[in-house]
Amino acid sequence: TDHDYHHELQVQEKDQATGKLHSLPALHPSRMAERFFVLYRPPPKTNVPALVEEFLERAHFIAQDLDWLLTLPHDKFWCQVIFDETLQKCLDSYVSLAPRRFDELVDTPTSVVQMQECLQRRVFLVFLRMSTHKESREHFITPTVYGEIVYNNFLFDIPKILDLCVLFGKGNSSLLSKMIENIFKQQPSYYSDLEETVPTILQVFNNILGECGLQDDRASPEPQRLAEKIRVTPSEMPLQELKDVVLYLCDTCTTLWAFLDIFPSSSQTFQKHNFLSRLASFYELVVTELESAVKKGKFEDRSLQMDLWRRLSHSRRKMVEIAHILINQTCLQPILESSYETVHPFVEEFLEIFTTLLQERRFIRDYDEMFPVDEDVSLLQQASSTLYPFQITYRILNVHDSKNC
Amino acid sequence: MNKRTKFREHVLQSDLTWKKMVHFVTDSLDKKEQQALNETLKALLHAAKQIVGTDHGQEAIESGAVFLFKIFHNRDCVGQEETKAIKQMFGPFPSTSATAACRATCYITSRLTEQQLESLVQMFEEKEENHRGCFGKNVTFSLEMYDLEDCEELPLNGDADAERHVSFDF
Repeated sequence: TDHDYHHELQVQEKDQATGKLHSLPALHPSRMAERFFVLYRPPPKTNVPALVEEFLERAHFIAQDLDWLLTLPHDKFWCQVIFDETLQKCLDSYVSLAPRRFDELVDTPTSVVQMQECLQRRVFLVFLRMSTHKESREHFITPTVYGEIVYNNFLFDIPKILDLCVLFGKGNSSLLSKMIENIFKQQPSYYSDLEETVPTILQVFNNILGECGLQDDRASPEPQRLAEKIRVTPSEMPLQELKDVVLYLCDTCTTLWAFLDIFPSSSQTFQKHNFLSRLASFYELVVTELESAVKKGKFEDRSLQMDLWRRLSHSRRKMVEIAHILINQTCLQPILESSYETVHPFVEEFLEIFTTLLQERRFIRDYDEMFPVDEDVSLLQQASSTLYPFQITYRILNVHDSKNC
Repeated sequence: MNKRTKFREHVLQSDLTWKKMVHFVTDSLDKKEQQALNETLKALLHAAKQIVGTDHGQEAIESGAVFLFKIFHNRDCVGQEETKAIKQMFGPFPSTSATAACRATCYITSRLTEQQLESLVQMFEEKEENHRGCFGKNVTFSLEMYDLEDCEELPLNGDADAERHVSFDF
């Protein structure tokens, strides 16, 4: 029989004590095994043998337990995933703490690298299995029930999905795209969650601005308290603080870009919060200041200075690429795909976006360098010149004037 | 209960019990070798007792002996890997007992034909085979991760930005 684990589906199991058969729901806590998954801890930053050994032992337990989990039959796997809190905590700890490739480099022993690679594969496979409601023709969960299960049991949430993108997106992009698309498709509440998360991401930008003694006035119209006015600019910051800010910026930009790269259809949700404009003004405020601080800073360690510069350049690129994905998804693609009758709002959106972005002169210059704006404008003209040639020419003239100001 | 205890419990819960193993080995050998074999099996069990301890009863000692046999059945000395596996399972242990277990296992395996040993190995692999295939074994997985991208050199002389010019003449 097909195993559609609807709420009513019952299985027969032998009672351990009495040996009698009894019925219980296929997804029931009593069918979960006691496994006690341990929390993941990242590799030690120093190669002290005792610490390396401790890491290896812990990681070995996790690898063994995940192997076991992956060999479980479909219904038992889902019982474990839903009811075993230790498993969820273990997976959470891995995705949030596993080293990213762009983290600070330490000379890691081969045994640790191999163990880390072994965990990386297993964790991915567990998430892959969790993202699939139809494992085979015989083993599946109906899409609606699947959507309820993953959402109501917090198997996925937005921060976790962001982490999955940055950890696995580079090498497994097409599979990961399918996984995330499926999760959002089966449970549209994730779009609402994402919408609620966007302000938090914007708040991260504000926090960085705050750390740098810069403030985007458009972001917080409230008057500042007197004490808050004494701020340290990046150039005056202690080196450690500057380093922390650059690392934080690098992590934030890469993670966000990885998510949008893997799941570009989330762009509309970001734009509901005028994300592009906020990103550009953040870029404008923070990039020049941080670049100047890194360039002029008194670094005893030259390699640290080079590293911070590299991270800053990387973050810049990622912010511009994020902007390009958003513009592409919310305007350019719809313009290309729209009919003559429906193209108008997207052209308007495009023009509005660029009118706003032009105020951020450094940003628009860097954007143009990576993604020449004239190519987009040429596309726009082809798509809509017959519709309203005068408006476009007028707006573009404005663009041109603004650049010359 | 800590993770090490739980792990030990799980691994030692093998389909191949000590009794089954003794039965197999005894049946496979000539009568004249029985006495030496019995002594060797006793030595293996004694080594297991030293390593496992007596806190968990005879059953735990027997499971420990099977575990040691599995570890050493294709080894002729106690290497780093074996030491690590035993330590992970039972914690710190006397090295002389590991050596004794290894020696006893070597003696037993040397008395078995290749085919007999293969059948015995299959017996302790049965448990794993009982499981269906592992999910995702055919999935192509890449370890590649996002890294920092190559960037412009750090400009040390003058401000390169000031010299850059962008045209918006569309």
